[in-house]
Parts: sequence; structure tokens; C-alpha cells
Amino acid sequence: MLFAGLPFATLLTIAAVAGGLTVVFYILKLRRRPVAVPYSRIWERILRDKEATSWWSRLKRLLSLLLQLALLSLLLLALGDPRIAGSLIQGRNVVVLVDASASMKATDVDPTRLEVAKREVKKLVRGLGGTDRMLIAQMDAAVMPLSTMTGEVSDLETAVDQLKATDTRADVKRGLRFALDSLRGLTKPEIVLVSDGAVGDPKELSAGLDFEGVETRYIPVGRSGKNVAISGFSVRRYPLDKARYEVMLEVANTNEEPVDVELTLIGDGQVVDVSRLSLQANERLPRFYKDLAGASRTLEAKIKLADGQNDALPADDHAFALMPERRRARVLVVTPGNTYLEATLLLDEYLDVTSVAPAKYPPSGNFDVTIFDGVAPPLAPNTGGSLYLNPPEEGSPVKLGRAMQEFGFDVWDKKHPIVRWMSMGDIQVAKGHSFKPEKEDKVVGASEAGPILVSGRRSGRKFVALGFDPRDSDFVLRVAWPLFVLNTINDFIEEDTSYVSSFFTGDVWHIPAPSGAEVASLKAPDGKIHSVPIKEGRAVYLGDQAGFYELLVKTEPEPTTSMFAANLSNLDESKIKPAESLELGGKPALLPSGFDPGMRKEIWLYLLIAALIVSSIEWFTYHRRITV
Amino acid sequence: MSPREELLSPRVRKILWGLFIVAVTLGLVWAYQRYVVGPHAPQYKWAREGKNYELLEPRTLGLLFVTPLLLFVLGRSLADLPWQQRVLAVLFRVAFVGLVALGLARLARTAETSKVATVFVIDVSDSVEDPSLEDARKVVESAIDARGKEDEVRLITFAKRPRLIPLEAAGGKPVVPPISELRHGTKQALEKLGVDKPGAGSDVQAAMQLAYGVFPPGFLKRMVVVTDGVETNGDLLAESNRARGFDVKVFTVPFRRPPPGEVALRSVQVPEKVDIGQPFDVVANVYSSRQTTARAQLYQGEALNGLDGVKDLELKPGENEVKFKSVVRVGGQVTYALKLGDIKDDKFSENNQYAVTVDVPGRPTVLYVEGQPQRATYLSGALTAQQFDVDVRTPSAFPSSVKELERYDFVVVSDVPREAFGEASQDLLERYVRDLGGGFLFAGGEAGYGLGGWAHTTMERILPVRMDAERKKEMPSVAMALVIDRSGSMTGLPMEMAKSACKATVTTLEGDDLIEIIAFDSTPIRYVKFQPARYRSRINNEIARVQPGGGTEIFPALDMAYQDISVVQARKKHVILLTDGRAPTQGLKDVVQAMIAESITLTTVGLGDGADHELLRMLADTGGGRYHAVPDPNSLPKIFTRETEMIARQAAVEEWFPVQVVTNVDFLKGMSMASAPLLHGYVATQMKETPAQLILASDNGEPILARWRVGLGYTLAWTSDVKNLWAVDWLRWSGFGKFWGQLVREHMRHKHRRELDMKTEVVGGRVHAVVDAFTVDERFDNEIESKLFVIGPEPGGERKEFPMKQTAPGRYEADFQLEKYGSFLLRAEHNKTTKKGETSNVGVSYGHVSNPYPREYASFEPDLERLSRAALAGGGKVDPEAKELFDPAGEKIVYFEQLWSRFIMAAIAMFLLDLLVRRIRIFDRKFVPKRRKHAAH
Repeated sequence: MLFAGLPFATLLTIAAVAGGLTVVFYILKLRRRPVAVPYSRIWERILRDKEATSWWSRLKRLLSLLLQLALLSLLLLALGDPRIAGSLIQGRNVVVLVDASASMKATDVDPTRLEVAKREVKKLVRGLGGTDRMLIAQMDAAVMPLSTMTGEVSDLETAVDQLKATDTRADVKRGLRFALDSLRGLTKPEIVLVSDGAVGDPKELSAGLDFEGVETRYIPVGRSGKNVAISGFSVRRYPLDKARYEVMLEVANTNEEPVDVELTLIGDGQVVDVSRLSLQANERLPRFYKDLAGASRTLEAKIKLADGQNDALPADDHAFALMPERRRARVLVVTPGNTYLEATLLLDEYLDVTSVAPAKYPPSGNFDVTIFDGVAPPLAPNTGGSLYLNPPEEGSPVKLGRAMQEFGFDVWDKKHPIVRWMSMGDIQVAKGHSFKPEKEDKVVGASEAGPILVSGRRSGRKFVALGFDPRDSDFVLRVAWPLFVLNTINDFIEEDTSYVSSFFTGDVWHIPAPSGAEVASLKAPDGKIHSVPIKEGRAVYLGDQAGFYELLVKTEPEPTTSMFAANLSNLDESKIKPAESLELGGKPALLPSGFDPGMRKEIWLYLLIAALIVSSIEWFTYHRRITV
Repeated sequence: MSPREELLSPRVRKILWGLFIVAVTLGLVWAYQRYVVGPHAPQYKWAREGKNYELLEPRTLGLLFVTPLLLFVLGRSLADLPWQQRVLAVLFRVAFVGLVALGLARLARTAETSKVATVFVIDVSDSVEDPSLEDARKVVESAIDARGKEDEVRLITFAKRPRLIPLEAAGGKPVVPPISELRHGTKQALEKLGVDKPGAGSDVQAAMQLAYGVFPPGFLKRMVVVTDGVETNGDLLAESNRARGFDVKVFTVPFRRPPPGEVALRSVQVPEKVDIGQPFDVVANVYSSRQTTARAQLYQGEALNGLDGVKDLELKPGENEVKFKSVVRVGGQVTYALKLGDIKDDKFSENNQYAVTVDVPGRPTVLYVEGQPQRATYLSGALTAQQFDVDVRTPSAFPSSVKELERYDFVVVSDVPREAFGEASQDLLERYVRDLGGGFLFAGGEAGYGLGGWAHTTMERILPVRMDAERKKEMPSVAMALVIDRSGSMTGLPMEMAKSACKATVTTLEGDDLIEIIAFDSTPIRYVKFQPARYRSRINNEIARVQPGGGTEIFPALDMAYQDISVVQARKKHVILLTDGRAPTQGLKDVVQAMIAESITLTTVGLGDGADHELLRMLADTGGGRYHAVPDPNSLPKIFTRETEMIARQAAVEEWFPVQVVTNVDFLKGMSMASAPLLHGYVATQMKETPAQLILASDNGEPILARWRVGLGYTLAWTSDVKNLWAVDWLRWSGFGKFWGQLVREHMRHKHRRELDMKTEVVGGRVHAVVDAFTVDERFDNEIESKLFVIGPEPGGERKEFPMKQTAPGRYEADFQLEKYGSFLLRAEHNKTTKKGETSNVGVSYGHVSNPYPREYASFEPDLERLSRAALAGGGKVDPEAKELFDPAGEKIVYFEQLWSRFIMAAIAMFLLDLLVRRIRIFDRKFVPKRRKHAAH
């Protein structure tokens, strides 16, 4: 037995004072009220009898004192907050995994599935045995323990109150793995999964996990509800006509009966289209909006049941996408003069071109791309991606190999974005150098004697290097030349078709960010601002909210802001029909047992209740003169 | 009697008291309902002096329901107490109950503390050596020494999975267990967790998530991640950033010891596309932590790589690139496995092998249908040398179904007469080209094009040339002499059919062509002297006059024909000799040689079994013509017609000429057509309109090679032959094989119409595959039903299927976990469902991924940048001082302080007061004098 309450000395002091006073009160004799009676003989007899039974009187008095002392002892003991030492009796160790994924926001039960789950967990907490310990963890795409493994009911209840549903999928396997890790080496391990069972493929749940000796329990939450979902929403730029986009929207009916839904498309906050769709049972209906060239930057899609009823899960009725902005790329050309290059850069109206002589590099301003024509000065921070044409040995991002004459492209990576759809085989070069690329560099084109077109990254910044002066070849006379330059610029500013507009909640996002910076500020849809680290030109963040995000990176002279969208887009989460049973570790997970909500494990509670009972008994016996 | 006693009777008092108790009870019930359990009950949370208070269990205030009972008992009290004390007693008792109820209601308030709990998260994966772990132990020990009195330290170690390590206290100070206990994999239970050893991975994210659950409440949270920063699962950066959101400050401590002696195969790469017979490089990236030597063995399948199997490597510290030459001879899935051995200094053997599989398309197969199979070796040999599988067949063995034809990538039909190639076969060919995208070459020869009677057929329709080549005006006419045996044996049907054949010949000839008909038995008779064929009726009458006669003497007849034909003017001079018997051979050869010397050609026809076939064949061969053995006289007209067409229509142009390149198409790249030898003949044809494309032409511009698209495939017309007749010099040309190889390769059927690029990456054993589908006009190709098949580990691995889901316009993605290590082939099939509900294949994607061994064994140098960013993201720093870990730095943490004990102390005070008023008479102490006074009166 342990005492977690007041220190022992304090308890002793209180006991001494209160006990002493109690005894003193009993030693003091209560003055009796004399009562005049007419027939003294009768009373004499009575008094005589009474004297004969004075031992009984003393006993009643002693009993009264004992009752008072017992009451006092109970109170003092309660103040000591006694605990049963864990080592004496091995209790259960329970990890409660509470599903807080998007489907737990469903309102098929009042008020939501998560609130019902919380109630269930609180019942478990209150039903913990004296030596049991529990850990409560929130489980969505990640796992977050909200308490330690503890027997403290108040801590556990606080943990339950902290549970909050997110917009992500449920990664039950990760949760189970966490639970098993937490229970390793502990006695009577038990996992309680509180979930609606919308967990994807149930067979995959336990694969590779060892549940030996671990009790698994499952508390299903939720009934069943009508739900329609936006299970996909994204925007993508066309590869050739980059000013135009296509939007894909997928609406899914997860019910067993057909429904009509009303779909609203919102561009920059304004309703742009409202349409009605009929969905068959369990149907997924993709829709494509082609050839968009709108001014809208943010796109939202909302659905609701056409009959005006609410569906059970509002979380998947709203999706977000962002039109990839065709922004003007700021291109710096460091050249002593190159007509072919300048002419090429006139071809794209979306380029802001600044030309400087090599001696004047770096100029002020921020650039997305810098083209170094025959020069390779030390890079300034405002350079962006860099294209080197015939770089000199000193300063070149790739070491130069041997000098070559009369060569061409014998092989080139036809899939590489900077030479895609181009014929390089007929280019004749008079003179140039081969490169000696580093391990992570990509050889885009090579002649028989070695690489002559290399791309890669240095200090997180992209570069492309061409091993000859284009004017020493017929490259500049071919269609491939402007394509090469413009493709390279596109590749640097990532206006590529591989760019897809939104991220999925619950994933670790690697968001393109200006290289060079170490941290960025990320404004979440709820308005909160998070600081996020940047590594290799990507801001890394595990996001759990759907909506529009804004990434702000401090760059000179002005900060760079970019937006992106995040969506749940997970059909498994939208299938909200709860699973009544689950199999974990090869056996069905039953409802929890051994949690008696009537029993609280804090002994002081029982001591106080006992004190109240004793006090009531004492009150009754005192007033009925059973004790005096 | 007191005044009150006088005022109210006991009964009334009882009633009043009862009413009072009922009122109190009702009041309590209402208040409880209103303020505690009712729907509008307030939240018992309030703030006072910057602190928050909360009643955690307000329902226990219901204990005050005991009050009416107390009052009831009081009403029936026998105790001798003044009423004031009774009132006080009940008030104190109710207060006592109330205070105990409040205690049970658990009032709590926020309080602040700056105690620190630090959790050390230490990487004990296999890549971490014992000395580094000893360093980590020291870090923890120094932290234990530096901690404040109330601070706490916890320890978690992680590799593939995390584990909480209890810190047993000795003398009040926690002790860090020895390294052997920190490592994972010592317990058998851990081994069961997966196929790997427990140390074969680093999941720092899982460890950090476990750590959140070991911080005791009411402490400032600090986490120290001691690792090399090489993660195989999870994401340290993202989790550090997340930790900060949970008020956990993350510090990092990199392992700084030099890596152990280790050689690891980082990658083995083969080109994306490997062709059979084409040598290529297999490039291995070998990491070595120190300068050392090793022996590398490259296996192609089960056997050592033939070109370059074993290499002794001198490895320098860092990355080393090793190249092996290889070539694939047989198509299919080829697995390359590189194994390193005899390494001087190496800790882990897991990373010394690496396998990669490449899907090498098998050799293309060519179906070569040759009218003269004995001459098929030239082209088939050349194509075989160009890495084609060639199936030579006679026309009669042409496949009878599209399914059978589908096996072939290219079909050549060469020198086949129309009658040997049925309509059904032509239709099959058309479907093969049009619907299956097959390639088809029709090669000429004596039975090609018009010569073979191909005019106005399906074949002509699908070829890019017309066969009704009009004779060019400047061309001289034809002179043809028919030398017909009229010996006795020809009596009857043979004679009649021979006459019909002669008539058919006259009909076939153009009006300006010259014809002579000589019938012979022992002596020749000119029935028709050389005259233009336009006098058909007269000639036919002459023919009708021919009657069977006696013996057979060929020489005089042939000589007569030679004499006659040699003096007429004609560009083509041709003699057809028909006989059914044997004759003296003397002089025949000489006359034929004399004829050929004057470009007079001779075709011989042997009718029936009695003919001297050997002689006739010899004559035809010498005479530059053809020999026909005709068992059935009925076929004579057909043979004569074809012979005549061949000669009279000028279809065959037999002269030496150079080919001229008209269109420089792709397959001619690298070929020097100027150096091509002369061809010796072709069948005259005419180009069809564009899009038919003339590639090679004769010196007078007539088509030699032409092509066009038919449906999904190509048909090509080669009007010369591919044998030793017209292309005899080409057979000796060094470019002959390359020419046909490149031609076939460019036009052959691509079995899958479309190959969509697939990008794959493996992170933590999870494969992410992305396919982008574009239409021909570079728009997004949507609503494709894609399935991804994963086959492996190779060789002979199982096959699994995963759906590829469309995630964006034109984008299809699949994501799955690889359960095993090795090399895997990926193949995605893309189908579309038509409106009619039919499924059609719209493309395939190929890829391969390697997951050779746990990535734990791939890197051994700390990723300092990652650790520095993680510390930055987590609000901590790299390599913190021990003291810094427990420095609250002005931070305070708010926690709930339970206040119930204070109520219990107040309850004890109330208890004493209650006791006081019940044990000591406070009121009415003077009752005795009063009574006495009263008595005195």
C-alpha cells in the first residue's frame, strides 16, 4: 500500500489535533438539564436502576466516541490517498486506440461517432480495476498517445477529452503496431480498438503483427448512414497547352440504394456551376471538366443530397483544388551576347527576361532561372535553377571531361522532360567537352565519347549543363533548340505536367519550396500558422486537415508565397457502414470485459463514502440516544 | 412548558416539520436537476486570478440528498440539546456532508510547473556499432547526472520497432542498461515480428510516437533523438515538426564515429530497354567505407554473365562504379544478380548482393511465305542474322486463322502466284495488317504482281502499288513464238487445249505484239507467221487448222522459231515450247544458248508424264525462262496466259539498274544505298496516290519499294525479288541483311499498341507506381481501368494484382508493400470499356523495382543535414549540453491540481465543530437559575 496524498507528518498532526479534540469533547461532561418531577420516589427508583446500568451508559458513550474516531480515521485515511502497490497485484495493461479518422465525424449517432467513442472510453476508464493501467491513443493516419500508461483516472479522462477527429484516413495497422510496441514486456496486455471499422482491407490489418498473448477487443461505434462523397478532386495542366487545365472530380455513392446529389462547383469563392447527378448503388462517377482556362484560382466542390436530407458524413462532401498558376517566370541571362538565346526567350510570353553581362552578375532581384552562357560565376542566392551552356572548368557544376570535336547526341533520354519529344540525333557539334557527372546526376544526353547534357542538383538547386556552345553546332538552327531552352525553364519552375494540384491528408507532404531556405511558415485551413522544415527544396509536413494551405518562405527581397490544396479523397473512409466485428491477430476481437463502470479505483473515494455512512449512522444513533 | 410549546401542539409541529423537510427535499431535487444533471446545467469551469477551476464530478453533489434524512432524524431527536445547538449541529452536519460531496466532486485547478521529463530515443539498428552505442549511453548517463531533483529521464531504443527500456534505480539514481540489453533482437519474440531481423530497419517516427506516451503528466517534454539519421521507414523531419505541435522539444545527437569497415552494393542498373543481341553495360554502384578489395560476380539468370562475369575490384572509400558488359541472347525476363565476395573488411553480408530483372522482348518473328521455297534461304538467313526468328512456309501452309497469324510480327509473301494463295488467306492478311497492326511485305519475282495474276485482287487493294502497269510508249513490242508439239500423242484433249492456249495467248497480247505459231511433229510447220496479234480472228483460224501428226523432233522447230524471231524487231523476244514426248536432244542446247545470247528467252512446258522433263527444265534454265510440268492439259491456257502476261505486258523488266532513294525514311538511316549493287529486274507497277509513299525507285522512276499504312499496320511492296534471280548481286552485298532487318524492324507489328510510361519508386519497401496516360493529341486519357501485376521476387516469384486508381486527369497510381526482398517485374494493363460494354486493351506499362535487402544496410554515414533540420523543426538543437536538456528556459507547463483534499480538511473542521456543539452546552446554560427563579415565584 502506498500513500499518494498528504505527507505522513501532516496527516499525523491533523490526526493528533482532531483526535485530541474529539477525546476532549467526550471527556467534558455535557451539563444535563435538571428537570423537576413531582414523584421523586418513582424517579429515585428509575435513577437507581440507571445507576445499576451505568456501565451500559459508559459503553454507549464509548461507542459514540469510537464512531467519531472511526469517522475521523476514515477522513484522515482518505487524505492520505492510499494506493495498492502495483507490484503486489499484476493488473492489466490496456492500450485503447480510438479511431479519430474522418469517418468518425459521421453523425449517424448522436452527436457524432467520436463523441460516442469518447463515452465508451470513459466507461472503460471508470471501470479500470485497482491495479489496471491504461494508455489512450488517438489513431488516424498517425498515432498520438494522449496519456501515459497510467492508472490515474483523471489523467485518462483528460486524455479522452483531448480526442479530436481529423480529416485523414485511419491507419489501423500503424495503430496496432504502436499498441503492441507500448505493451511489450507488460503484464496482461490488452488492446481495445474503438472504431467504426472503416479500416480498409480487414485482412491486411494483422499481417506481420504478432498478437501472441495480447487480448484484442473491439468496440464498434456507429450505426449506418446515408453517405455520398467526393472521392477525388484534382486539377492538372495540359502538357502542350499549359495555359489550359483539366479538372477531375469523382463522386461516389457508398450506399446500397441510388441517390440523387446536387454538385456545386465554386471558383474563388463564387458558385460557378450547380448540377444534379444520379448515382446508382455503390457507384463511383468520375467527371472531367476539360479545357478550363479560367481566372479562378481556387476551386471547391461541394455535394449534398438532392432531397435536402443531410448525409451522415459531411467531412467528405467538400473538396478543394488549386489551379496551377501560370506565373511569369523570371529568367536571368548572363551572357556577353547570344542572339539565338535571346530570340528563343522571346517565344514564350510568360517569361520575364533580364540580360546582364557576366561582369554585372549578380544583379538585384529574384530569379526563377538563370542561364549562364559560357560563364560559371559563383552562384548568388537569387539565382534559382541554372542552365549552363558550355560552362568553363572553373565554376562548372559538373566536372569537365576531355575536349571533343565533331560529335553529336548518340543517346539521349527520350523520356526526360527537357528533351522529351525532341529529335537530338541529327545535331552536329563542332567542338565541346564531355562531362564527368556525379553519382546522383542524370545524364540526359551523351555522345559516344561521354555525357554532354547533364542535369542534377547542387545544394538543393537544380541545374542543367550542356557541354558545348550551341553556336558551335547546328543545334541553334533546329526546332529542338527553343524546345530545349523552354523545356528546361519549365522543368526548373516545375510547371510540369507531373504536377498534380492536391495532397492527401494523412500523408507526409513534400511541398516544393524555394531552395536555400531552411524553414517556411505554413498557414493551415483553420488559420493556424505552423513552422515547417525545408529539406532539399521541399517543405516537409504531415497534414491532417483538408482545405487550402498557404506556404510562405522568407526569401530576399520579398517573401515567396505559394498555395496548395489538401483533400481526404479516400473512398474507404467514405464507406461509413460500420463493421460489426473485426478480426485481429487471427481471432475475432470481442467486446471488452472486466471493466466494471461501478467500481472506481481511487480508494479515497470509498473512504469518503464510508465516512459519510458512518457519519449518518452516528447522527441517527446520537439523536435516538443509542449512543450518547 | 416553553412559550413555543404552548403556541403549537406537537401534532402541528410535526406537520410543520414534515412540510419543512418536504420543502427542503423538493428544493434539493430542483436544484440538482437544474444545476447538475439537467440539459441546461452549467459547466463547472471558471477562471479566477488567472487559474482555471473545474468540477470534474459535479454529480456527487447529489450526496446532499441525505440532508432531509438528517432533518428527519433531528425531528425525532431524543438528544438533550438546546434548539440553537440543534440548528447549529444540523447546519454543521449538512456542511460536513456538503464538503465531503465537494471533495468527491473533485474540484481541480490548473497549476504551473517547470519540471522536465526527457525521453532519449536511441537508434540501435544494425548500422549502429557498439562504440557509437556506448557514446549514446554516455549521453544518457550525463543527462541523468545533470537532471534536477524533480526531473525525469526515460529511455526508448528503436530499430525496426521501438521499445521502452526501464531504467532501474540504484541508490535513487537510474542506471542505463548495458548495450546488450539496449539492442533489439535478443528476445525471441522480437524475431517473430517480421521476416527481417529486428535490427534490420530504423523507424524513428514510430519510436517518437511511442515516446509521446511515456512523458509523465505535469512535466515539460524534451526528446533527444540519438541516431545516424538514416531512416528506412517513417519521416524524422515530419515527426519532429509534429512533436513541436505537441509541445515536445526535439534535440538530435548524431553518431559521429567513422562507419565500420563495410562494402555495400547500392544499386545495379541495366538500361531501360535491352534488345536481344545488343551488348550493353550493367552498372553497379558499390559503396565502401574504406579502401579495400573485393571480388564481384555477375550472374545472368543462373549462369555467370558470359561477357564479363567476374571482376576483382579495388574499392576506394565512398562510391565506386563498376561496369560489366553483357548481352542477352534469348528474350524474356532476365535477372542479373551481382554478388560480392572475398571482401577484406566487411561487417554485413546482407548488402553484398543485388538483383535486378529486365524484361527483354523476345526476337520478333517473321513469317516468310516463298513461292520457291528452295530459294528462301537468302532472305531467311539474312533476317536470322538480324536477330529475327524466321518461319519459312510454302503458300499452302499459310496460317488459316488470325489467331495463328497474330504470333508473327511481320509477314513476307514472295513470288507466290495468285492461284496458290486463296482469297481467304488474302483476307486474313488484310485483317492482320489493318486490325492487328502487322507489317506485310509483298516481294516480286516471276509470280509477283501482274506476273502472278495479282491484278484486281485483295492483295492489290492493300498494296501501295497498282499492278495494271501500262506499257510505256517508247517500249518496243513483244515478239512471241509458240512452238507446239502436234505429234500423235497430242491427239484429243491435249491438242485441243494446246490450241486454246495458243488462242488465249493471242487474246492476251496487245495488238502490236508479234506472234508466230509453229507446230511440229517430225518437221515444223509455220501455221502463223510473225504478225501483229491484232489479227486475232485470222490467227485463230490458222490455229484451228493444226492437226496432230507423227513423231517428235524439237530441234528443227525450235531452230525455225529462233531463226524467225531473231530477225523481227521487238524489245522482248520469247519462245514457248510445248511438248509431251521425248525427242533427240542434239543441238538443242546450242540453239538455246544462241537464243539467250540474243536475249531471246525460252519457256518450256512439259505435258503429261511422257515429256522429257529433265531436258525441258534444262532448256528453260538455259533459256532464261521457266519450266512448267503440266500433268493436266486443262491448265495449259492458264500457263500460256501467265507467260504471255509476263512477257507481253512488259510487267517484268529485266535489266541491270541501280535503285534510287526517293524518300529518306528512318529504316534507311545508316545505310548507304548509293553503294547498293544493281538489281537485275523487277515487276513494273504504278504508285497509288498519297499517302502511298515511294521509297526506292528504279532508274526510270518505277516503284521498287513503296509503303503505306493500312489500318494500324503497314504494307510494303518490293517489286524486285529477294532471291538469286533479280537480286543476285544484292545477296552478296554487305548491307543486304541490315537493309531487310531495319525494314522489318520499323514496320513490324508492335504487339501492344501503346506503351505508357510507368514511374516507380520504393520507399521503405513500399512501391509507388504512377502511370501518366495521354491521348495522341497530348490530352489526358481518362477512365482507363488499370491493373498492375507484380511478379517476383525473380526468378519464379509469385504474381500479385493491384488496382491502379485514377487520381488526377490522365494519372493512375498504385501503392503497395513488398513483402519480400529481391527483384520484381511490374506490368500494368490498361483497358477501357466501350459503350457496348466490351473491354479493349489500350496500352501496357512495364517496369521493374529492386528491393534487394533492408535499406538499413545501404548507408552508414550519418545524415547530418537531416538531423540538423529535425532539431530546427523540433525547436531544439544538435548535440545539446546535458544541462540544456533540463533547462525549462522560462517555460512552464500547466497541469491540473486536485483540490479535493482541501475540502476533506474543511470537512474535518466541520466535524469538530459539529462535535463541539453536540458535546458542550453553549446555549441555555443558565436554565437552572431561571428555573429556580421560576420555582421561587
